[in-house]
Amino acid sequence: MTDSNITLRFHANGRAFHPGEEISGEYRFDWLALDEIQAVEVSVLWYTDGKGDTDMAVHDFRRISAEEGGWIDPRRPGEFRTVLPNSPLSYDGAILKIKWCVRVRVFSERGKEVVGELPFRLGAVLSVKAAAP
Amino acid sequence: MTAPDDFAPADNPFSARHVRPGALGFRFPAGQSATSLVDKLQQAGWRGQIVGPHGTGKSTLLASLLPVIRAVGRSVVHVELHDGQRTLPVAIAPARLTRPAIVVVDGYEQLSLPSRLHLSWHCRCGGLGLLITTHRRVRLPLLLETRMDADLAYQLVRDLLDNKADLVGPEEIARRLDQRDGNLREVLFDLYDVYEQGRLTRRNRIPLPHATERKGPPCK
Repeated sequence: MTDSNITLRFHANGRAFHPGEEISGEYRFDWLALDEIQAVEVSVLWYTDGKGDTDMAVHDFRRISAEEGGWIDPRRPGEFRTVLPNSPLSYDGAILKIKWCVRVRVFSERGKEVVGELPFRLGAVLSVKAAAP
Repeated sequence: MTAPDDFAPADNPFSARHVRPGALGFRFPAGQSATSLVDKLQQAGWRGQIVGPHGTGKSTLLASLLPVIRAVGRSVVHVELHDGQRTLPVAIAPARLTRPAIVVVDGYEQLSLPSRLHLSWHCRCGGLGLLITTHRRVRLPLLLETRMDADLAYQLVRDLLDNKADLVGPEEIARRLDQRDGNLREVLFDLYDVYEQGRLTRRNRIPLPHATERKGPPCK
């Protein structure tokens, strides 16, 4: 998926995974020079979406900071890898949806922040649309 | 596991995360902007009120103003009051605040009279600014009076739909806004259900977006 000048993709085909399955992939952004990057944060997270307040939790988080000695080379893809939990499973309800995604945030020296997301499905709960008669 | 086309739950453009203050930008009247209003607030000694009925954009306007207020060096104590909150949920103790500071109260009409007096006294004695949103005017300089009309509501709905589809026409928006006494927030809540119903009955003509990039929930 490409947006916000960050390209994300899974190593495996598809974007639907089982609980307990390992996911891995890579992200790329080459629009910043090496010395312009302050930090990169990679999260695997879920959040609720619907009529009510948004709830969210981060399953896996990694921050690479240039200030802390992290090496961020925009010419090479960064990688993410994690084992997915058993819950919450993705859900496509009418009032509430549970969404999973890999989110990459890039912070530049100029104070700019760019976000890219790669949504995916965890589990195989029927959507309300599919379950409707 | 194979990858179906609907790899992620469909996005509803009227969900809370898309229509919350901050996600949905405030539409300033001609000739006004967040910067000009903060200038006006500053000229009024950092005291002001935003007045308007329910669902006309007061909280949305605040969300636009707060970054500008912070950018000019004011720290902000932001208090959001909801139904039945008669007292401030946080202690406004001037000595503990980084100066210069401004207390921002969204939903000022919720406060009891003693709480209002207490807040006003603390702000005056502590040299703090005070910016409120309220349904009825109080004795503070007027920053802006928010209004909602059918044209503006229709534009906002079109923007939420990314100008891709005509889920509802301008007449329908005007009718719904009238039914909801001009409260756009309630209209958007209704449209959430309309959108979901359209998905269920397969009658909607809107391509369902799977994800948006810049309107997500707060990240770690």
